[in-house]
Parts: sequence; structure tokens; C-alpha cells
Amino acid sequence: MAQPFVKKDDDRDDEADYSPFLGIEKGAVLQEARVFNDPQLDARKCLQVITKLLYLLNQGETFTKIEATEVFFAVTKLFQSKDIGLRRMVYLMIKEISPSSDEVIIVTSSLMKDMNSRTDMYRANAIRVLCRIIDGTLLTQIERYIKQAIVDKNPVVASAALVSGIHLLQTTPEIVKRWSNEVQEAVQSRAALVQFHALALLHQIRQNDRLAVSKLVTSLTKGTVRSPLAQCLLIRYTSQVIRESGVNTQTGDRPFYDYLEGCLRHKAEMVIFEAARAITELNDLTSRELTPAITVLQLFLSSSKPVLRFAAIRTLNKVAMTRPLAVTNCNIDIESLISDQNRSIATLAITTLLKTGNESSVDRLMKQITSFMSDIADEFKIVVVEAIRSLCLKFPQKYRSLMNFLSSILREEGGFEYKKAIVDSIVILIRDIPDAKENGLLHLCEFIEDCEFTYLSTQILHFLGNEGPKTSDPSKYIRYIYNRVILENATVRASAVSTLAKFGAMIDSLKPRIFVLLRRCLFDNDDEVRDRATLYLNTLGDGSVAETDKDAKEFLFGSLDIPLTNIETSLKNYEPSEEPFDINSVAKEVKSQPLAEKKAPGKKPTGLGAPRAVPTTAADAYERLLSSVPEFASFGKLFKSSAPVELTEAETEYAVNVVKHIFDNHVVFQYNCTNTIPEQLLENVTVIVDASEAEEFSEVGTKPLRSLPYDTPAQTFVAFEKPEGVPAVGKFSNVLRFMVKEVDPSTGEAEDDGVEDEYQLEDFEVVAADYILKVGVSNFKNAWESMGPDSERVDEYGLGFRESLPEAVNAVINLLGMQPCEGTEVVPSNSRSHTCLLSGVYIGNVKVLVRLSFGIDGSKEVAMKLAVRSEDESVSDAIHEIVASG
Amino acid sequence: MLLAVLIANSEGNILVERFNGVPAEERLHWRSFLVKLGADNLKGVKNEELLVANHKSVYIVYTVLGDVSIFLVGKDEYDELALSEAIFVITSALKDVCGKPPTERLFLDKYGKICLCLDEIVWKGLLENTDKDRIKRLIRLKPPIDF
Repeated sequence: MAQPFVKKDDDRDDEADYSPFLGIEKGAVLQEARVFNDPQLDARKCLQVITKLLYLLNQGETFTKIEATEVFFAVTKLFQSKDIGLRRMVYLMIKEISPSSDEVIIVTSSLMKDMNSRTDMYRANAIRVLCRIIDGTLLTQIERYIKQAIVDKNPVVASAALVSGIHLLQTTPEIVKRWSNEVQEAVQSRAALVQFHALALLHQIRQNDRLAVSKLVTSLTKGTVRSPLAQCLLIRYTSQVIRESGVNTQTGDRPFYDYLEGCLRHKAEMVIFEAARAITELNDLTSRELTPAITVLQLFLSSSKPVLRFAAIRTLNKVAMTRPLAVTNCNIDIESLISDQNRSIATLAITTLLKTGNESSVDRLMKQITSFMSDIADEFKIVVVEAIRSLCLKFPQKYRSLMNFLSSILREEGGFEYKKAIVDSIVILIRDIPDAKENGLLHLCEFIEDCEFTYLSTQILHFLGNEGPKTSDPSKYIRYIYNRVILENATVRASAVSTLAKFGAMIDSLKPRIFVLLRRCLFDNDDEVRDRATLYLNTLGDGSVAETDKDAKEFLFGSLDIPLTNIETSLKNYEPSEEPFDINSVAKEVKSQPLAEKKAPGKKPTGLGAPRAVPTTAADAYERLLSSVPEFASFGKLFKSSAPVELTEAETEYAVNVVKHIFDNHVVFQYNCTNTIPEQLLENVTVIVDASEAEEFSEVGTKPLRSLPYDTPAQTFVAFEKPEGVPAVGKFSNVLRFMVKEVDPSTGEAEDDGVEDEYQLEDFEVVAADYILKVGVSNFKNAWESMGPDSERVDEYGLGFRESLPEAVNAVINLLGMQPCEGTEVVPSNSRSHTCLLSGVYIGNVKVLVRLSFGIDGSKEVAMKLAVRSEDESVSDAIHEIVASG
Repeated sequence: MLLAVLIANSEGNILVERFNGVPAEERLHWRSFLVKLGADNLKGVKNEELLVANHKSVYIVYTVLGDVSIFLVGKDEYDELALSEAIFVITSALKDVCGKPPTERLFLDKYGKICLCLDEIVWKGLLENTDKDRIKRLIRLKPPIDF
């Protein structure tokens, strides 16, 4: 057979760097491709040219439409050649060029001929090429050949047809689904690969039919599966069936568990591993069920193959997240992986150990990690730092060695993300472990002495300003802070000035000395630094406009109370004029979902002409919308708008959701309606609301929607009156009433006569959370302390049986509708207790803060302690009432 | 899905690159990522010793064979184990075609055949053939001996 470019001696070293494609150039190769048109084809030459074309394509070179067409037409001429090597190459070349649909016709007849050829290999290759290049219409013509090929006795032909089927299922599923009988037969094939491909295709055809998948799994788990690859697929499908069917509650048996456990003794490692992983991923596993899987994974840990070690440690790492105790037995094997050549494996080993280790092993572990850290990349280091942080929170007694470790790696070389991860960790530890505070702050001070990242320096200075003054000897931090004013860039200098001012405000004894330092900053060459120094000197009482001590502290430590994105938008919208910018006009609501209605999945997208939601906050948009309705103008300022509540299922004729707008003594329901039927036009659309289960509300008006054409969302409103300032609650049931007119789809014109019709919508409720704004505070502790204990109301509640702690925490957050602060809505995995901090503004503009402490016991009973502080005691009581009645 | 098969020389120049289901704009990113991964880790690695990494839900298995490095990227059912199976098929086919772990020169000499082998092994992101003897016959359009 002809072989391109073969030199007599492949091994000659002096030729080793010489490439046969040296200086290859697309234009020249395209010229050479003319040999394809020769009447006397030179197969060897043609092979050389095709190889060059393939090389070009594999280097990312692209052909223009004309070039591709020319090459394609020329290549089709090569079907005349009887040279087998050339024919094989032609098949590949046609696939690589993938001709456009109008050109395909040139080659289909040749390929159809090959598809019916007696030579099996022609058949297999022709099927693969045809399936790559044809569309649905041509596919129907050759469908019967493919069906035959699926059950062909030659495994190569059968596999070619099956794999083609897998690809075609993406584009023409309706045709491929008709082949399931043949595919079913192929699943029983004795050829291992045919079985593998057939199983994959059959599952894809039936994946939406649970019963069929379950039957497939039942029959195959009893029979024989030849190829390990197919066995792996079967294990995956089996665990899917298990997930969907759940445990048999009467006998406690888990269907198919025995099959999975049996696979742990298979001779192929791939199958053993797949089964082990499937078992570890089952829900509510007993230790007895889990142990065999952990045992085989433990064996893999000491395998000579890196891939197996990786796979095993990766799976154990996942198990350790939820059941660290189950993995503890493997700790010795995992420890030996810390020195693994493969850094991915070593990192996974470290992070697994950090999850499974106990308090006594922490010190030893840290010693091992120290030597390991120097030779891994930053992204791995970040993973380790995060793992150490959670370990420290788990064992607060060990903070000293863990904090020392963090500070030592903080001094080493590293990129921004890595350093940020360390600083964040130290900050969290300082916040959560009071004993670690002074030590941690000093580490941070050392770090900013030589920190190349402005962002981190400013963050640390800010944190230092809040925490430093509360330590036993605040004066020792001043030197570090003032060094920044001398040594750093303007941004850091400005931050340092603010931090100095905070120390001055909190500690009277330091004040005179701080003034000296601040006065020096008045001559800084940056205006921001000078401005800040001037401002703080005046605020703290050195200048003429001395304010009270309380005001100064409020100014320095108080939070802005306004989301920065909102203030940014407002400032951008502000047009310079006589009227000064009013900060009270900025919306305080945390940015919620945009106004754009959530589309039901699968619905036709709106065209280019459809109006787009204005890119602004939802609150702004709602306010503008409501103020455009004259009937609602007298209701006053909008307090809160809820997120849309769906009143219809997805994919129904009419999609309706409601947004609840709360005013001081009114509520307005905004019903967003979409008509999804092209043949209908709806007119005079209203919602009839039955408020019999909402006694405190009385309807005061509705605003009907004149016309609702197909796929153009529009709104109708219903307004209710309620007692002023009272968080009235109740349930509302709704019926959509409208006049429906037929529309001629071809002309788009509606008939003149219509019919009255009604459409039942789901009920919804106005709940207490609708009266609380989600408004965050930047420093919860300060805000909490400034509120004072007088208004505090504390009580304990039993929440009963709950699925998990995070679920209970979320339920309470949703019930109250308040803003979680400082990331406390996230419950670390495996926690038995958790504290969540919430903040909000109650109707009547009363600030309210909530501290929730949760605990869960072995039987999943959750208890909660609720502490509320607010500006008004009655509001604290109201929050308790919400929880008590929720 | 087997997202990518990439073969590069020792300097990190691409010899063969086949992507499946990877958007065109992400390919360059993948290419440079893989080449860097190889440059960082493949020095001193023995022939066919597998290295493995994962990034989110995507797995990467890679190795050295003679002068060339081979990278496979996969997701979902093509996890590290399936990829190691696939890379094993590819390395055996390469050794078979070249007669030994190839120099870059030898690899380029056998370029056409290597493309055919890859075509038999991975077809649009799915593993098709796994036996090197069968592949050897298939690229010459000879039917397999054992059914």
C-alpha cells in the first residue's frame, strides 16, 4: 500500500527536526489538489495531497466556501479509483470538509452504492459518512438500509450504524426513534462493542420514559453484559433508576443494590470503580451498604495507576463532605498520597484529610501540608486554604496552629486570588473565634507592611478600623496604619486616613495623637486623602464644625443602608441642576429579579421587535409603572413589590403571574398576563378576586386590560384597601375573565364577534414577609449593638422534624423575607448548629435585625432561638408573631 | 462526550486537534490551557504514564509518547477512567502505526494513517473502536478477524 512521505530510514537523528510539512501553504496544496481530476489517477500522489489537506485542517486552517466546494468536488472524483487506501482516505476527507446541503447530492449516489456494497467495510464507512452529511429528508430514503445495518452480523457495520444513530438522534429524533426494535436486538449482540453502542442508543431513545428505562435495567442486570464499557453504562442507568424509585419503605430494601454490590467484584477496574461511585452517591445510605464501596476505593488508593488513584480519592473526597466518618478508615492510605507526584491527587488527598481528620491529628497534618504547599500551583493552594478555614471553624481550639499556618503562607509568594483567599480566611476566623482576634489582626498588619495588592490593603485597613479599637491595646496598630500613609499609593493612603479616624473616634485617649497624624495628611499630594483628613478632623471635633460624639461614630461606623448598585444607578440618572441630589430618593430594596417575565420553558422566544425590559432595578420599573396609573396616584410611596408569584402552570394557554405591591394603607396586585395561543385575541381582560379569606382587605378598584394579543405580555391591576401600617395577611382566589376573539393566522386579523370566557387561576396569599424590605447592613455586629438591648425580644421555638439544617434555615429566612447578612444564610455541611443574621425594614420604615440560632439533634428535630432588635419594640413583637404563627 | 483530542509536539505546537461539541471561540482557550498543562507537568514523565486533572465537571487525561504529548478532554460519561481507556487505545494505535513511540518526524511521516486511526477510535465525541488490531485492519478497509 502506498505510504506518504516514508523515508528509507525513519530513525536518522539529523532528520528528526525536519518536518515533511515544512513550509506548507494552503494555496499551493489547493493547486496540488488538481491531481484528483487527472484521468489517470495516481493513488500515491492523491494520498499525499489529502494528507496535506488534513494537516492543514487539523492546524485550524479554514477553507473558504469556494475552496471547500472545489476540494469537495475534486475529492468525489476519487471514487473512481479502486485503491483501497485511497478510498478510506476519501471517506475521511469528505467528513472533514462536511459539504453544504446543496452539494451533498453529488456524492450521495456513490455513497449509497457503497452502502449496498458486498464489502462490509465499504458499507460501514459509507454509513458513517452519509450520516455525517445528510439531512432529514435524505435520511428517510436510506433509513431501511441503516435499520438493516444495525442488525448486520459484521460488528463494524452494526457499530457504525448505531453510533450514527446516536448522533442523528440530536437532529432527527423522530426518525431514529423508529429504529428501537433493531436497536433492542443489537443490545443482545455477542459483540462487546455493538452491545455498548446499542445500549447507549437505546437508553437515549427511551430516556424520557421511566418505565421503559426501568424495564431495560431490570432485564439487563439479570442477563450478561459483555463489554466493561457497556457494564459501566448499565451501572449509571441503574443508579438513575434507584434514585427515581427510592427505598422500599416496608422491607427497607433498595432495589438493584445487590447488582451494584456484585459489580464491585467485577474483573474490570472500570466497572468496579463505577459501581463504587454509584453506591456512594445513593441517598440515605446505611453504613452497611456504604462499607463495601469504601473498601474497594481504599484499595484503589494504593494502585500503581495514577488515574485510579485520582478517581478513588476524588470519590472519597466527595463522600467526606457528607460522611467524614465513613472515610476515616482510609486516612493512612490518603496520607501517603500527600506526596503523590500528581498534584491534583495530592491536593484532593489534603482536602479530604482536612475533612476527615480529628482534633488530635491537626498538628501533624499541618506539618505535612507545609512541605507540600511550596510546590503546588495557586489554584490548588486556594482549595487547601478553604479547607483549612472550615477545619479551623470545626476545631476552634486549634486556631493557633492554623492561624500560624495561614500567616506563614501569607508571607510567601503568590498571586492575588490566593492571597485574597488567605486574607478572607483570617478575617472569617477573627470574626468567629474571639480568641483569635488579636493574633489575627497582627498577622494582617504584618501583611500590609509588604502587600502589593491595593485591594487587599484597603480591605484590611477597613477591617482593622472596625475591629482594632476594640482590642486590649489598640495603640499598637497605629504604627502599621500610619506607615501606609507614608509609604503607599493614594488609594491605600485614603483608606489609612479613614482607619485612623475610626481609632480616634472610639478611643478618647488616642484622639490627640490621631489628630497630629491626620493634620499631617492635610498636605498630602492627593486630593482624596486631603479631603478625607479635613473631613475627619472636623467630624471628630478638631475643627470648627464639631459634631456630637454619637454623630461622629454614626458617620464613621454606620452602614450606608443603600445598596451600592442602586446609588450608582440613581447617580447616573441624576441630571445636574439646581436641585441637589437627594440620597433619600435612592431605592433601598436589594436588587431583585428583573421585570422581564420568566418565560415558561420551551415557549417561543419573542422576536426582535418585542420590547425588551429596561435594564434598571425592578423596584424602579414597578414604581414607574404604577405611577402611570392615575387611580393609584393617591396611594403614596410604594413600600415594597414582591417577586412574581406564578398563578398558572408552565405551558398552559394563558400564563399569569402576580406581583404584590404594598403601600401604607393599600395593596395593588399586578397581574402579568401572556396569551400563548396564536389563534386568539383576548379583550377586556380582568381578574375577579375573591377576598373572603382576607377579611382586612376591601377592594377599591380594578384596571382592566383592553387587549391581549398573542405573545405580548401586558398587565391588569386590582387594588385593595387595608388598615394603615398593619401587616394584614390573607388568601386571595382569582379568576381570569375576558372576551376571546378568533384570529386568522394567515392575515393576523381578529373576527368582530367574541365570546365571554373565564379561566381559573391559582390562589395566592399576602404574607407577613411582604411587609418587610430586604435591606442589608454592612456590619451586623455594629448595627446590632447600636440598636441596644431595650427593644430586644428573645424566645425559643421548636421547628419539629426537618429534612436538614439548611432546609430549616431557608424556611425561616423565606418566612421573614429579610436580607441574610455576612453570608450567614449558607450552612456549612454537617453542621449541627448554625447562627443566621438577618436585617430588614418593617412597614413604617422601622429598622429590624434578627439573630437566629439553630440546632438540630440526631432525630432531625430542629430548635431555634430567635432574638429580635428593632427601633420599635412592637415591631420586635410582630416578628415573633410571624414566626409563632408560621 | 469526548470533548477534545489534542496531540502536540514537545514544544507545544499542535499536530492534531479534534474538538467535539466545543464552541469555536473556546477552542483557542482549551488549546493554550492544555499546552500549558503539558509544559508544567509532563517533563520527565515516562512514556504512557497517565496524568490526570479535572476542572469543574470536565476531566483531562494526558500523557507522553515519544516526542508527542496526547491530551484527552471529556465530560459526563467520559470521566477519568473512560478517558484513560480511550488514551490507551490511541497510544497503542500510534505505536502500532509508527512501530515504536514516535519521534515528531516519524509522527508526521505517518500523519495520514494516524488521522485514519483517530477517525476509527473517536467519532464526533464518541468512542467507537477500542482494539488496536481491529483498528489496524479497519484503516485498510479490511474486516475484523474476530467478531
